[in-house]
Amino acid sequence: MAQTEKKTGLLRRTSSSKKPLKEKVVLMYEEIFAKEDPTKNNPRFWDELFLMKVNLEYLEGKLESLDGDEVMKVKDNINSLFHHCVQALSEEHQIKVVNALQTLCALFRGVHQKNKSATGFDIINMLMGFDKAELRMKELMESLDSLLCGDGSESLKSLCLKLLLCLVTVTDNISQNTILEYVMINSIFEAILQILSDVSSRSQHGYDAVVLLALLVNYRKYESVNPYIVKLSIVDDEPTLDGMGMVIHHALTDYNRQYKDKEEENQGGFFSTLTSMVGSMFIADADEKLSVQTNEAILLALYEAVHLNRNFITVLAQSHPDIDMSATPAAPVPASPTTPLGTTPPSLDMMNNPELPLDPNLQTSNLLITFLKYSSIIMQDTKDEHRLNSARLCLIILTCIAEDQYADAFLHDDNMNFRVNLHRMPMRHRKKAADKNVPSRPLVCAVLDLMVEFIVTHMMKEFPMDLYVRCIQIIHKLICYQKKCRVRLHYTWRDFWSALINLLKFLLSNETILLAKHNIFQLALQVVNLFNMFITYGDTFLPTPSSYDELYYEIIRMHQVFDNLYCMVLRVSTNAGQWKEPASKVTHALVNVRAIINHFNPKIESYAAVNHISQLSEDQVLEVVRSNYDTLTLKLQDGLDQFERYSEQPKEAGFFKELVRSISLNVRKNVSLSTMSQDLLLKEFSSIS
Amino acid sequence: MGDTELELSPARLEELQKSPSTSSTSSTSSLSLPSSPSSGPRALTSSSPSTSEGLPTSSPTLDVISEGVGELSLVIDTEMAKKACQEVLQKVKFLKPDGEVSSATSEPVLVNGTAHPESTDGGKPPKITAEEAEPVKSVRRRQKNNSSKQSWLLRLFESKLFDISMAISYLYNSKEPGVQAYIGNRLFSFRNEEVDFYLPQLLNMYIHMDEDVGDAIKPYVVHRCRQSINFSLQCAWLLGAYSSDMHISTQRYSRGTKLRKLILSDELKPSSQRIRREVPQPPPSCPPPLHHGQGMSEHSLSPSKRTHQRSKSDATVSISLSSNLKRTASNPKVETSQDEDLSSSSDSLELEAGTPVRLTPQREFIKSLMGIGKRLATLPTKEQKTQRLISELSLLNHKLPARVWLPTAAFDHHVVRVPHTQAVVLNSKDKAPYLIYVEVLECENFETSSVPVRIPETRIRSTRSVENLPDCGITPDQRASSFSTVPNYDNDDEAWSVDDIGELQVELPEIHTNSCDNISQFSVDSITSQESKEPIFIAAGDIRRRLSEQLAHTPTTFRKDPEDPSAVALKEPWEEKVRRIREGSPYGHLPNWRLLSVIVKCGDDLRQELLAYQVLKQLQIIWEQERVPLWIKPYKILVISSDSGMIEPVVNAVSIHQVKKQSQLLLLDYFRQEHGNYTTEEFLTAQRNFVQSCAGYCLICYLLQVKDRHNGNILLDSEGHIIHIDFGFILSSSPRNLGFETSAFKLTSEFVDVMGGLDGDMFNYYKMLMLQGLIAARKHMEKVIQIVEIMQQGSQLPCFHGSSTIRNLKERFHMNLTEEQLQVLVEQMVDASMRSITTKLYDGFQYLTNGIM
Repeated sequence: MAQTEKKTGLLRRTSSSKKPLKEKVVLMYEEIFAKEDPTKNNPRFWDELFLMKVNLEYLEGKLESLDGDEVMKVKDNINSLFHHCVQALSEEHQIKVVNALQTLCALFRGVHQKNKSATGFDIINMLMGFDKAELRMKELMESLDSLLCGDGSESLKSLCLKLLLCLVTVTDNISQNTILEYVMINSIFEAILQILSDVSSRSQHGYDAVVLLALLVNYRKYESVNPYIVKLSIVDDEPTLDGMGMVIHHALTDYNRQYKDKEEENQGGFFSTLTSMVGSMFIADADEKLSVQTNEAILLALYEAVHLNRNFITVLAQSHPDIDMSATPAAPVPASPTTPLGTTPPSLDMMNNPELPLDPNLQTSNLLITFLKYSSIIMQDTKDEHRLNSARLCLIILTCIAEDQYADAFLHDDNMNFRVNLHRMPMRHRKKAADKNVPSRPLVCAVLDLMVEFIVTHMMKEFPMDLYVRCIQIIHKLICYQKKCRVRLHYTWRDFWSALINLLKFLLSNETILLAKHNIFQLALQVVNLFNMFITYGDTFLPTPSSYDELYYEIIRMHQVFDNLYCMVLRVSTNAGQWKEPASKVTHALVNVRAIINHFNPKIESYAAVNHISQLSEDQVLEVVRSNYDTLTLKLQDGLDQFERYSEQPKEAGFFKELVRSISLNVRKNVSLSTMSQDLLLKEFSSIS
Repeated sequence: MGDTELELSPARLEELQKSPSTSSTSSTSSLSLPSSPSSGPRALTSSSPSTSEGLPTSSPTLDVISEGVGELSLVIDTEMAKKACQEVLQKVKFLKPDGEVSSATSEPVLVNGTAHPESTDGGKPPKITAEEAEPVKSVRRRQKNNSSKQSWLLRLFESKLFDISMAISYLYNSKEPGVQAYIGNRLFSFRNEEVDFYLPQLLNMYIHMDEDVGDAIKPYVVHRCRQSINFSLQCAWLLGAYSSDMHISTQRYSRGTKLRKLILSDELKPSSQRIRREVPQPPPSCPPPLHHGQGMSEHSLSPSKRTHQRSKSDATVSISLSSNLKRTASNPKVETSQDEDLSSSSDSLELEAGTPVRLTPQREFIKSLMGIGKRLATLPTKEQKTQRLISELSLLNHKLPARVWLPTAAFDHHVVRVPHTQAVVLNSKDKAPYLIYVEVLECENFETSSVPVRIPETRIRSTRSVENLPDCGITPDQRASSFSTVPNYDNDDEAWSVDDIGELQVELPEIHTNSCDNISQFSVDSITSQESKEPIFIAAGDIRRRLSEQLAHTPTTFRKDPEDPSAVALKEPWEEKVRRIREGSPYGHLPNWRLLSVIVKCGDDLRQELLAYQVLKQLQIIWEQERVPLWIKPYKILVISSDSGMIEPVVNAVSIHQVKKQSQLLLLDYFRQEHGNYTTEEFLTAQRNFVQSCAGYCLICYLLQVKDRHNGNILLDSEGHIIHIDFGFILSSSPRNLGFETSAFKLTSEFVDVMGGLDGDMFNYYKMLMLQGLIAARKHMEKVIQIVEIMQQGSQLPCFHGSSTIRNLKERFHMNLTEEQLQVLVEQMVDASMRSITTKLYDGFQYLTNGIM
């Protein structure tokens, strides 16, 4: 302390004209921006600087206010500030490390805010100098890595992650952040993995680590070879992947719980105001209130994990009791590789891992279930941009899952039954409470339920065509799997068929409005082809012979819709125009449905006439259907069980760019280094240092 | 549980740690070895110290002895043992006239056994040892034998007829230590499997019978423990289970408990090339205090025994001193960390490197399976249990493959994966037994073959990548120790060639093609249609027909019932299940992949089950030998403790209760549904199987008085056999003694219907089979009785309740009846059973109380 006193005296002499109220550290910053080498007057300048509490606002503000020429003048000083920051990271003195981390953060931010227009190279030059940049960044990354992997203080690790998040999100478009090139070369991937694999560090820093990873993976993912993508795709260490799954699971569970709490809160209000005649408006209001901030960053991380890493699929099905993550000591075991002789049996330390907590009321859950619940909440309301994007991402993730063989296997596993309580939008024509006792079924039923739920709840003016297409694709992929593997799912296919038919009905009745914006024929074709799957391949995956009869019954019952659709597509396809081609595809696809209708309708009519019944009962119709199969001939259509595989590029690239941009903005807004008060840090480190 | 028992009180621990020192010191006097056996408080000296007196000293001594004995048996291979036996026998014969000497010589066989190793090692013939031991013998105050009787006995023992069953019988019945010791040595000459069958008997005798028997058995057990981990664990489990009926205070110090601890301490390792011989306890000449002092001072040199034990001749202190300093120094921890009895011998070091803890992985594996069972029992519904079971097993999967195996299997293997989603909780009211399937890789020897490498669940990658995985996967440890950013990256980059990276980024396209592959016959059609462009027409009726045919074709799959999750799983034909699981397993492609299943029982005492298994197995052998075509299916039982164990499930079989509940058919109609109409060959085969198995089990039920015969305890397999399970109530015990089930066995009219009715040929065949079976069983009654009788020793099992269990059992063989009379008896029993109102009552009772149909 005495030393600092002396030094301030020294400072005061040189800058006596300045206002006396300024902090010491600010005075020192001013020296840095004063073109002269600050060590000239005080050889211990840098040592002292990092002992002082960082003034982020001032530093950032100052950097921002400099214009191009001024910057070039103080460039050397900034370079050396950066250099000394990096050096201070390996100091033993923890306070210095903290201050250096914060200063670095201010540097990155300040420089970027200032130079919105400037190229990345200018920024690198300004911070580190071209010639030194590579070395400096290497040192920086190595220091960060060792801080993250070391046994040091947890708050220090947290600060490191914050700095990295800060660095990654300084630009709106992550791919324009040239500094990240060095982060690519000097990978901190392993450090992130280590955080995720360890139970305690995972619970404290897991979230930041996962978000950081998700962002890094998106750096120039389409233009160059991103080592993070490569590495993420080959991780096969189960504790690590599990850890990642746990972090995501935890975040999504949190969201679900928050939503549920809010919903319950609102429900009271809702009922009390129900008497007012504007009940329906209140529902809308309530929905607004219910929107808890979505978490796209975590969803992106889930997507990247599912999309890039095949081993991660197993994590989805990894069941664990539905409880707070930090309390779950699941698999904290470092992967001890099995030695060739198996002499250190993994069982040794692994066998006695802590037991799962014992609570009979605990529902066993897994990441997939949580994700499905989350999706059901997100999909309720797709009005604002964020939620629409989230819903889209949810559907994309589901697409990836539906395409994966292993995922399909456990989705359809008859032995893995779960009760999944999906959230359903309150609607006038249906009761909400009924979902409390859903039966325990294979998980694929929940996925199908979710899709059906989406289909029936989004037939609106602002038609989310894109989401509908994805939704139908997911269903199609699942049915293709069932057909291929002859899985006979006991599902209420009837509700499913009627949802699809209602969708066609909606498309027909809103043809003019929708056609202005969307290619409704593509969607119609997909829906009709789903029916074709059932009609021609039903023998391979329907659960009972009578379900095949029911399919015919449903088609015959709703034949009006198919008739109208046929008229419509026929009309459009005979007129020249942009829809000619897609519409004519639908006409071809309808051939079997029409054959069924045309075959059975006369039979039913004559049956009614013969038996003098005006209205046939369902059983009677089914009887007619059963007895007249043999005279019906169907046409085999090509490629019903083929689908285009999901690929991010080029179709989805735009979406992901935008998504990452919005996540970046959001993360930047929320990363606050100042959240951790200096006092707290001081308290923590005073005992150490 | 086992662990808690292993924990020793500090005092005892201390005591135990002293033991190495004592033994090491004693080594100095190894020349006095021959006399040493008599000096210790060993069983050999007939005047063995009373437990109270010998407590402090006895435990170390015992350890030492056991060690030594183990060593011995190692040295002696079975051949040698045989030879030794013969030589001793020769001598006994030779000395026959001299009563005094003969008894002496025959007695020392055991001593001979213990002291043997050094001599064999030194290439000396065993008889020398025997001679050396003679003085010891003379000390004994055993009664002399009737020499002529013994000669006959010896002739029998030497004859070819002398089999393991007789050996056990004589071991049990003979009061003659010499005979017992002889048989103890003879055990070495039987095949392992033969002896293994009688392991429960051997160990029960070891625990509950007098010391001579125990001493006769011990060398053999120790020898086998050294050879095999599996045997060690089996012994330890059985010892624990059969000691559990003793009073807690005696149990603690019983020889059974001690042997168990010895085994679990993992001291019984296969010794390496060098043979460590028994370290005798302080020779009588040396007063204990001195020893103690010496022991302390030379403690660090304790490993010395290893060298000097190589043979008596070079056992000098100096040698041991010089050669062994380094050993202890190199690993002092090992010695102190051993909390089990016995010195941590130096030779363990050598093995430590190879097999750090031999038994631990397997014990942990079993422990975690039992832990799951315990936790499941706390959950209220079947559904929750099943879910929990699946998630627990998926966690268990993380730890596999490991050097663990299923003891019920018949071949050596390593467990590589538990297909967790296939596991089911079985029907039980308050316990939670569960059935798991276990994927294993067959191997040469589970102790020496290397443990298979873990393959991730999603083994989509090419083999090349899989090979690379170990390089790419960076474990936290590796990372922590060495950090280097750039090189790290480069390494990975090299491991993944540019092509691979590209491939990864485009999501492995070639794999995806299979998503639209053409399994269905239609798709094949559709391809041709694409080529020909000719539209293909199909009849809707065909699709509908195929659908109903396919559903009909899968032979009566059971519906899913959340209250009875096991029904579906058990109904699925085994072959199909194996194929299905194999397809879904990352290890499935390996040629040595096998699927096993096991029922884990927690909270149930399986000792009676084991007894029943032995009896069934014995009867099966007898009937096979006598060519009576009775069919029974003894299923393997693994007793782990007195309240836990494992059962080998009967594959392709469901309970008659499940059959009736699911099919809602009479048994006969179910047979027709499954096997076709009366005249088909399939039906006839199934019917014959039914009759043969029914006759077999009726006899079993009668002989063993198996009770609690409701339909949930009778299985029906896919070939028509019935199989009785659950032998919880046999011999003298019956459920709650309500007086139900008074008939000899269960024979309902439904059963008779399947056999073709009362007048049918098959029913007569059934009765004839029973008669033949009973006659055959009677002929070999002793073999059956003996199994039960020995297990009665010291047992509190309910099946031995009362004093007349064995007598009643013997009576049921009706030795005094002529064959004609037997035939009448069988007729009567069948008649009575069929008419028995109590059978119906019991079924009704079960239906009302437990919902069992």
